[in-house]
Amino acid sequence: MLKILLVLVSFGCAASAYAIDGGELLEKVDRHLAPASYELYRKLINIEPNGSKKEYVLFTVKKGKDMVAGVFLSPASEKGRSTLRLGDNMWLYIPNVGKPVRITSLQSVIGGVFNNADILALDYSDEYDVAGLEELEKEYVLDLKAKTKTVAYDRLKMWVDREKVVPTRIECKTEAGMLIKTLYFKDTQDFGGGFVRPAVIETDSPLYKGYKSVMIFAKLKARELADEVFTLTYMPNIESLR
Amino acid sequence: MQQIPGVWFSTERSKWFLCAMGLLLFIAVMSPPAPDAADDYAFDTSETDKKPYSLGGYMEAKPTLFALDRDAALYKTRFYNRDVSNPLGEYDFTLQLDAGVEWSIFKAFTRVNNTLDYTYDGWSSDSKPYEAFLSAKPSPSLTAAAGKMTAKWGKGYAWNPVAFIDRPKDPDDPALNLEGYYMAGFDFIRSFDGPLKTFSFSPFLLPVDHGLNHDFGESGHVNVAAKAYFLLWDTDIDFMFLTGNSRPDRFGFDFSRNITTNLEIHGESAWIDDFRQNKIDAAGRVSETEIDAWSGLIGLRYLSSIDTTYILEYYHNGTGYSESEAKDFYTYVNRADDIYVNTGNAGPIEKAANLTQGAYGRPNPMRDYLYLRISQKEPFDILYVTPAITTILNLDDRSLSLSPELVYDGITNLELRLKGTVLVGDSFSEYGEKPNDARLELRVRYYF
Repeated sequence: MLKILLVLVSFGCAASAYAIDGGELLEKVDRHLAPASYELYRKLINIEPNGSKKEYVLFTVKKGKDMVAGVFLSPASEKGRSTLRLGDNMWLYIPNVGKPVRITSLQSVIGGVFNNADILALDYSDEYDVAGLEELEKEYVLDLKAKTKTVAYDRLKMWVDREKVVPTRIECKTEAGMLIKTLYFKDTQDFGGGFVRPAVIETDSPLYKGYKSVMIFAKLKARELADEVFTLTYMPNIESLR
Repeated sequence: MQQIPGVWFSTERSKWFLCAMGLLLFIAVMSPPAPDAADDYAFDTSETDKKPYSLGGYMEAKPTLFALDRDAALYKTRFYNRDVSNPLGEYDFTLQLDAGVEWSIFKAFTRVNNTLDYTYDGWSSDSKPYEAFLSAKPSPSLTAAAGKMTAKWGKGYAWNPVAFIDRPKDPDDPALNLEGYYMAGFDFIRSFDGPLKTFSFSPFLLPVDHGLNHDFGESGHVNVAAKAYFLLWDTDIDFMFLTGNSRPDRFGFDFSRNITTNLEIHGESAWIDDFRQNKIDAAGRVSETEIDAWSGLIGLRYLSSIDTTYILEYYHNGTGYSESEAKDFYTYVNRADDIYVNTGNAGPIEKAANLTQGAYGRPNPMRDYLYLRISQKEPFDILYVTPAITTILNLDDRSLSLSPELVYDGITNLELRLKGTVLVGDSFSEYGEKPNDARLELRVRYYF
């Protein structure tokens, strides 16, 4: 009788595993992290090996699959700098220089471990295909493969909380499997509007030993925006959206 | 003591300005870095509250030491009638104030640049609005503005041949703020799905009359300029023109594109009809010729896996002088200086000095240049330090400037830059005939 029960339970587990579609799960993760179009405030903190910190406050708006824009509110030396991402294209506008210049995804407008692709992140499901899915007791583990060569990290290994369906950890790797950085998702909070998600992302990297960067989220809310907001010509005016 | 006419500062105020700058910079430098609190991730959201007004800017102190070249042509045009010490010190102080007010769809903004300088001429000061404009944004697709503004056209880092309605950048410090011109215009933006993602159109009216924009060109005209921007197949493309009678008509285009995740390429091309070029021959005969000039730039920006950034640009300046034309000028200066030394007749050297202004003495007055800048972020794990080396090579006469620098930005809002420049070139070459052989400057800038 016990054997029959065990067999039945095993079949049940297997059936539930096959019922989970990796692509759908990844899209669900994206929607649990943020609405498709939103506004958001973030504090970015770079922590150096000696413990000293540099902090930046950034206002960000996103629309649809591939449009993200942001403007730095502090410190004074960075105030007014704005960033724009349209798909694989990224620009930085510096008020002193006065015109947007193209930047690349592997650069970092603030230094530290977060690069431009992290700061102007798109939905994971827009940049990655699910190459593998593993079920653990409390988590799913997604093996993600970049859809194109222009994506900053070729492979991601994402641990997803089964209950909340949000990431708890992501390892970012090269095509050869070398670890570039690890993102740790912490401090789950209710942002209102049905969004219960980690409010803090920490990152470290074997390439930057001793350095750590932190991203803190606040005032995340859904917002409809015109496409024209996400253009080079509009970059000097992004702060007017606040 | 020399006062520039129309300046904002009196002598007494200059002293107070200097004292205040010194005190604030001292406070800034002595401010300790943020305390160790690596696990304190507090985000006080009151930091994000928006005010209807904004006030900011920076203050800067910049002492510079010049090693003069007394045999150089441009030394002679500047110092022919005075004896200055060598090396020569100069002290520049800047207070730049930015202020803005927003109300509904309207915005007012001004950026005022105040300078106080101590040079071989003594103290001088100046205060002028770099920008001062009113704008209205009735929709995200449309922004109209009028006042003193900068347009900042072009994709080049060191040079922008298509910046038709901007003052020229200093390739030695391309990120410096520039003074704008008085104009009125608007931006119209449309976004699309498909290969063409964005289109925008930005026309401007730029009057030159009644003292307005008097240094732009011939007075009594309203000039029209416009730029059309396309984001097409992931490439930025601009087409632009300037017409009117203050300056010769010109048109051009530029582009920029990311080739890979760490490589960007860009270029500019500009055509100028009937550009009037003043020349002087070795005998001192001044002539004006009209040429149809083409200027172009091609460049790239590359980030290596160890955080080294390379910026490389080739620039052809169609309005520049050939090697033989530049040599004629330097030959004439030497002759004029000999006349002044031997007879006391300053006429010929003053004529050469006048031609130096805005012509032979402007930054990069010749035809073909190469720019290379290599910067390394935090080498050998030395925090907050970015060394860089920049060279501008004159391909016509093979003279060059070489500028190593060190930037430290470890204290929030404070930036220290130590920069040296060595000029290398034979006699009758551009960098060989600059008034100094080398210079060393320290720039201390505090943002607030």
